[in-house]
Amino acid sequence: MDEPPRDLPEAAQRRFAQGAFSSGLSVSDFAACLEMGLEPVGLVQGFCAMHWGAFTRTGVMGRGVTPFAGAQGGWVRNYQCPHGMVSAEHRAWGQNYEQTWIEDAWREGFNSAYVRMMEEAQELGAHGVVGVIDTENPLSDTGVMEFHLRGTAVKLLDAPSTAQTPWSTFLAGQRLAKVFEAGYAPVSIVTSVASIRVWAYCVTEYLMEGTGGAWAGAVGTFEVDQIVNAQTKVRDLARARVRATLHGDSLHGANMSVSQREYAKGDLELQSRLSGNRVRRFKDFDPLPVAQPTVRLS
Amino acid sequence: MSNPNTDLPQATEHRLEELEKGLFTSDLSVNEFLLIKEVGFHPLGFVMGSSIYHTGIQTRKWGQSQELTKLTEAMYNARELAMTRMEEEAAELGADGVVGVRLDVNYYEWGKDAAEFIAVGTAVKAEDGVSRLNQLGKPFTSDLSGQDFWTLRQTGYLPQGLVMGTCVYHIAHRGIGQTLGTTGQNVELPNFTQALYEARELAMTRMQDEATRLGASGIVGVRLEEKSHQWGSHTIEFLALGTAVTKTSDDITLAKPTTIISLDN
Amino acid sequence: MSAIRPGDAHLRDEVRRALAFLETPSSAPATAAMTSDLSIDEELNLHSISWEPVELVSGISLFSIPYGYWNWGQGEIVAASEAHSQAFATATSRIQSETAKAGGHGVVGMHIERAIHPTHVEISLVGTAVRPVGAAAINGTHIFTSDLSARDFTVLMVAGWEPLGLATGASFVFAPRRSMGAVIQQQSQNVELTNFTEAMYSAREAAMERMQRDALAMKGTGVVDVKVLEGPMHFASHAVGFVALGTVVRLAKATHQPIKPITVVSLNDLAVGFDAQTLG
Repeated sequence: MDEPPRDLPEAAQRRFAQGAFSSGLSVSDFAACLEMGLEPVGLVQGFCAMHWGAFTRTGVMGRGVTPFAGAQGGWVRNYQCPHGMVSAEHRAWGQNYEQTWIEDAWREGFNSAYVRMMEEAQELGAHGVVGVIDTENPLSDTGVMEFHLRGTAVKLLDAPSTAQTPWSTFLAGQRLAKVFEAGYAPVSIVTSVASIRVWAYCVTEYLMEGTGGAWAGAVGTFEVDQIVNAQTKVRDLARARVRATLHGDSLHGANMSVSQREYAKGDLELQSRLSGNRVRRFKDFDPLPVAQPTVRLS
Repeated sequence: MSNPNTDLPQATEHRLEELEKGLFTSDLSVNEFLLIKEVGFHPLGFVMGSSIYHTGIQTRKWGQSQELTKLTEAMYNARELAMTRMEEEAAELGADGVVGVRLDVNYYEWGKDAAEFIAVGTAVKAEDGVSRLNQLGKPFTSDLSGQDFWTLRQTGYLPQGLVMGTCVYHIAHRGIGQTLGTTGQNVELPNFTQALYEARELAMTRMQDEATRLGASGIVGVRLEEKSHQWGSHTIEFLALGTAVTKTSDDITLAKPTTIISLDN
Repeated sequence: MSAIRPGDAHLRDEVRRALAFLETPSSAPATAAMTSDLSIDEELNLHSISWEPVELVSGISLFSIPYGYWNWGQGEIVAASEAHSQAFATATSRIQSETAKAGGHGVVGMHIERAIHPTHVEISLVGTAVRPVGAAAINGTHIFTSDLSARDFTVLMVAGWEPLGLATGASFVFAPRRSMGAVIQQQSQNVELTNFTEAMYSAREAAMERMQRDALAMKGTGVVDVKVLEGPMHFASHAVGFVALGTVVRLAKATHQPIKPITVVSLNDLAVGFDAQTLG
């Protein structure tokens, strides 16, 4: 296996050697950058293509006699059948477990692309990268997931170049200017994912099928604890992970999304993704006056 | 293909003659029209250029990731022809530039492996009579909207030309998959990473070459587009597009924005 | 590119100061960590009325509906309406307790996701906990939740009103059946299907009435930004669902404060405006 590319490809080197800057910013964002005294020096990007999809691990679960032991360091919660029934059809145990290998692969893909983008920025002598856009795309039918990050590298006007890793932010334009005015300095973009697999046990199965009442000895509506637990945990994990990378800084403009996939009956996968801007307060907030309300005549 | 600079169709000549009499047509909205007037330009007419191009066939190696240079050339030349014809129309009108340029590709049922490349925009002229032609003596082109054109002028920049670079790339079908099947793990595929990286960088470098030729100091609003056209999912065109700009003034005349809360929905 | 002249000197100084601060090795954060999904505009709006974001919070609930309730019948599908209201109430109390733990006084800009399946209802709520700057924590039951944006919240507060919570009402009913005879008879006529009208009318009224009941229980004097979501269920076309949602408000000051908006004419075309998100 080849070493993952650590150096910039030759085409990128050539591009940087040229005089003109390029910027992925819209004109208004470009104008706002100049206002802030940040000079765009180039569009920077990073990629990582990961082999994807061969790890759903359906085989691990099945209807074994005992629950899956869980991945190293992963979170697990087991559910035991209260009915005391033993039958091949009866789901005697259930489990919510963290799919750490998916989280690890995702982290590796994202971080590699991020590091490469920042390398490009450093190559250009940039102080920061603004307007970062990240996409993760499955490459058609190739079983490959591509992580692609891009942004516009900027230099602080008349400032010496620095050996430090550039700062980065999803924001650009007036929104970034307002972040500075509000007393925050951008530190870096942060993202995290959490992946939880749910293997329903009998109680969950019956409740989801709508036959839970018969077992509980009453007809009516009941909360489905196992799934609520997984849904809550998947969000908690993503938040805790992001919080752990903040080191006391704040997270601004967070975006949380959760997707759900059903592989088979009673076999669910939940994935949450949280991203945002890590920002550091450099001065106290001095509140602006209440903004002037306007009505547009159009 | 004959020289595109001299062969505008008859109907076009006629339409342009009418425009020269002082009538202007434009697909600009009222807002864009007013903002363009605000920075001292007057719209002259709606201009376009088109080219129907037959894209040749290039064999792709199933297991290899590579650039398909013939297709790259076809995609590039066809757009360039459409653009040049549009510039030609604009020059005919005595324009300094074209704003709001849109580049489109159409496929028709009657033309297998053929595509129509179209460029449309609004030709504009500076009202102070000073020429704003670009370094090559041609009208500048730009895909900026009227609003963006106004904003850019406030920062002291002037568009020089819509620049683009393209790269058609074939991505290998298999090869690496086999070694992976056994490991059952998620690992990086360095070959894929390299290929995609290379393809996009090539498109961007080519775009930047165009900007350098125009003597531009930079490119704003760069977009990266990925299209499969009609070649199947493993062949992708990476297209980089942006507006090359040069600085004409050091003054930033953009007023400090007022904070407002809009009560409109 | 050479130096840029005029522009906004103050802003440029702030940017310099901020970035210099990042480079100082011991630039320990001055305040406690905050997480928020608000935009900078929303945050500035909040600060202008002396409120601040504290933490990203969420609440989830999923209730089962006994099997067979969607089969053809008459009148209201009581279990579905109940499951919906229980799930909403439970998710709300969870987001309230997370907010209380984080020290927030309310949740603004709450995203509401609702999924209704034949045998269960799932409600997920995510939003940003906010409080008056530096205020002490309060009891979970006094925390308001609202899907109003921080911007709407600000304007509301400036005008002297306060949000109290989200009121909801749901009602799921069966569409009445027409007898074969009626179908044939009405085939070529334009007639109002009065029993249909009645059924839909009363179901909609029921959802609205439940929402109002919620609002009154919160001692509100009004419900703003009411959304009524309705339509046939995708899994059972003979059943129709109505859900009403809105933010309960009450006057916090003695009188309503006029906000006196100024008028502007925008030179932006909605269709053309694009930001960095459209790249790629």
